[in-house]
Amino acid sequence: MMAAALRPTENPIGYTRLVGNRAERRGRVDTSDKIEFESPIDSPSSFQNRLGFVPALVRAQALLPRLMEAQASLEKATRLRHGDLSRLQKERILLAVAGDRRDLYAIAEHCAVLSALGEPDVRIDALLVDSDDTALPEADLAALRFCRKLARVPHAVCQEDIVSLRAIGLSDEAILEAAVTAALAIYRGTISTALRVEPEFPLRPTVRVQCGLPQNEGQIAPDTGRRSHTEKGPYLASPFLSSESFAPFATLYQTHGFIPNFFRSQSLRPDLLEAEIEAVGKILQPEDILTRVQKESILLAVSAVNLNSYCVAVHSNILRGRGVAAEEGDQIAVDHHLSALSDSDKALVDCAIKLGARPAEFSSRDVDELRTWNFTEEQILESIAVVALNNFSNFLQMGLGFEPDFEVPAAFQRSIVKPFAPPGTPMAGDPAISTLVTAIADPDAELVAQAQAGNLDAFEKLVRRNTQSVFRALVAILGDTDEAQDVMQEVFLSAFKHIARFEGRSKVSTWFASIARNAAFQHIRKRKDTESLDSAGPGEDGDFRPRQVRAWQDDPEQSYSKAQVRKLVEKGILQLSPTYRTVLILRDIEQLSTDEVARRLGLSVPTVKTRLFRGRLMLRETLSPYFSKSTGGTLQ
Amino acid sequence: MITCEEFFAEFGDYLENQVSEEVRREMELHLSQCRTCTVLYDSSCKTVKLVTDSSSFELPQSVSDAVVKRIMGRLRSDPQSSK
Repeated sequence: MMAAALRPTENPIGYTRLVGNRAERRGRVDTSDKIEFESPIDSPSSFQNRLGFVPALVRAQALLPRLMEAQASLEKATRLRHGDLSRLQKERILLAVAGDRRDLYAIAEHCAVLSALGEPDVRIDALLVDSDDTALPEADLAALRFCRKLARVPHAVCQEDIVSLRAIGLSDEAILEAAVTAALAIYRGTISTALRVEPEFPLRPTVRVQCGLPQNEGQIAPDTGRRSHTEKGPYLASPFLSSESFAPFATLYQTHGFIPNFFRSQSLRPDLLEAEIEAVGKILQPEDILTRVQKESILLAVSAVNLNSYCVAVHSNILRGRGVAAEEGDQIAVDHHLSALSDSDKALVDCAIKLGARPAEFSSRDVDELRTWNFTEEQILESIAVVALNNFSNFLQMGLGFEPDFEVPAAFQRSIVKPFAPPGTPMAGDPAISTLVTAIADPDAELVAQAQAGNLDAFEKLVRRNTQSVFRALVAILGDTDEAQDVMQEVFLSAFKHIARFEGRSKVSTWFASIARNAAFQHIRKRKDTESLDSAGPGEDGDFRPRQVRAWQDDPEQSYSKAQVRKLVEKGILQLSPTYRTVLILRDIEQLSTDEVARRLGLSVPTVKTRLFRGRLMLRETLSPYFSKSTGGTLQ
Repeated sequence: MITCEEFFAEFGDYLENQVSEEVRREMELHLSQCRTCTVLYDSSCKTVKLVTDSSSFELPQSVSDAVVKRIMGRLRSDPQSSK
């Protein structure tokens, strides 16, 4: 019935044409307008049956049919079926999010589909302007508000939002479906931004008036909402789903070695899970176009810029499983320009970050830039799908608070280079968000700009302001003050060398610390030191139990001079393994917040807390003989 | 009242002042009745204070100046050398 009502008015143009033109230059025929599906994949028929047409957005990916299948899989499960939400309810969500993000292609399509489903024009217009004047039931309105919030300020979504949705009568299954639908809108928006697919249905006159393109459109907005930072996810119920009874989990075990909580936490809706896992398999698993390391590097870097520490932890660990050193993964997350990625892969990540985190800035020039690095059209297209999948995951995780808690099979643990560190907590509700957001207002920004223009006096000021923190960062890893002094020069010369590439994604002090960390690791490799930040050291990985239980003097500093106390403390800290030393120095001497320490070290907040606690207890053991009541006062 | 084991499980967060009001009350009740945990708590707080007040790993100004001078001297003599 609806199929007859919907007929696209024009063929899509945009990146697909660019692909075609370029392909023709290379002797290949553009398939975007005349696709023939040699193996009758389910995807087009699903669209044809349910929508009456195959969206241009899907056809635009014809160069790689498995990407079409991935999107079709997501759409079929989420959008094209009645679930706990009706198709009408889900189209409304898709339109609302597309409207917010000024995604003209999607707006035109969802308006047309809604119209064909019988939605009155007046309501379609109200949905586009975020008006509550839609005469919809309260539960529908609440679901729409939730999805808009998820798409606008995902970090601000919290347990209270879920509680209020439940109170109004929405089941957990329906809330999950609403969130996945909003995430699908983000996925589609990412693809349409990159491929520049033109609307294939006439835009409503109201849309033409409303749709300017705000500068920051599509960026994840800072957390301005009120929320409890102590709340934990996942926000929805997630009954146990076994890999024996649910085949897609068995597949995940085979391909990933573990089942991320991202999937476990959606067990209320196995049909959605199955589609997501299928999409992940089709986009990430094959290595015939881009390698898995290239894809994981994209996922890691874009998740980092999107401030999603859950996904950063997941992809860091997958990269480790692929033989990429932990510190290299950290570097990609903090600033990939300073990583060991090839120049062409850095360009690939640059483009991905722009598309994933700053889509309003993305243009065909970015695609051309990748061509200059000799990326093929297929590689470019696949990188776009990887970014779309990344944003789908980032938004959904932030919206539903999936907890970073993995079950890691021994086989996977053996396959990774270093012991598996507990992954990061979700950024949702994390005070680190505000820390990161304020990085834009770095007090050193002006000096950085001057230094980037070659002003050495400005650079000297930056050096002076960061000497102490760089020194401490080096001591923390090297465990030797003399060596740290030696390496300082390398750090600042390297910073000067790369300062033109510093983009202000973090404070410059964080950037210096990151270079220091890298330099320290290189130094350790040179001296063949086997100590690692990720290995807790013999006897220290298990529970540490205090043994000294003698009471301390009331004022321990009274028995020694300040210099003596300092010497004792420094000696005690240097005796700690780097695992604990780094965290303790950053937290208790640099006095950074726990979240900042976690971010700098690429660790999860719980890991930092555990290491800090143990480090303090170990130091207390070392210092107890000097400061306890019975033996205090004698410097041995 | 919570056990020493339970006290220890929350001790890290308690030191960081990151426990709920309810947990705090339980911890304080335990501390009021357990000498060993009181010693542990008191000495841990003092350890943290010693570290934060110690100015540890602070480069003396003269050393810091010398390092900066060396770096900037190299850059000023040949800014391209590090490029």
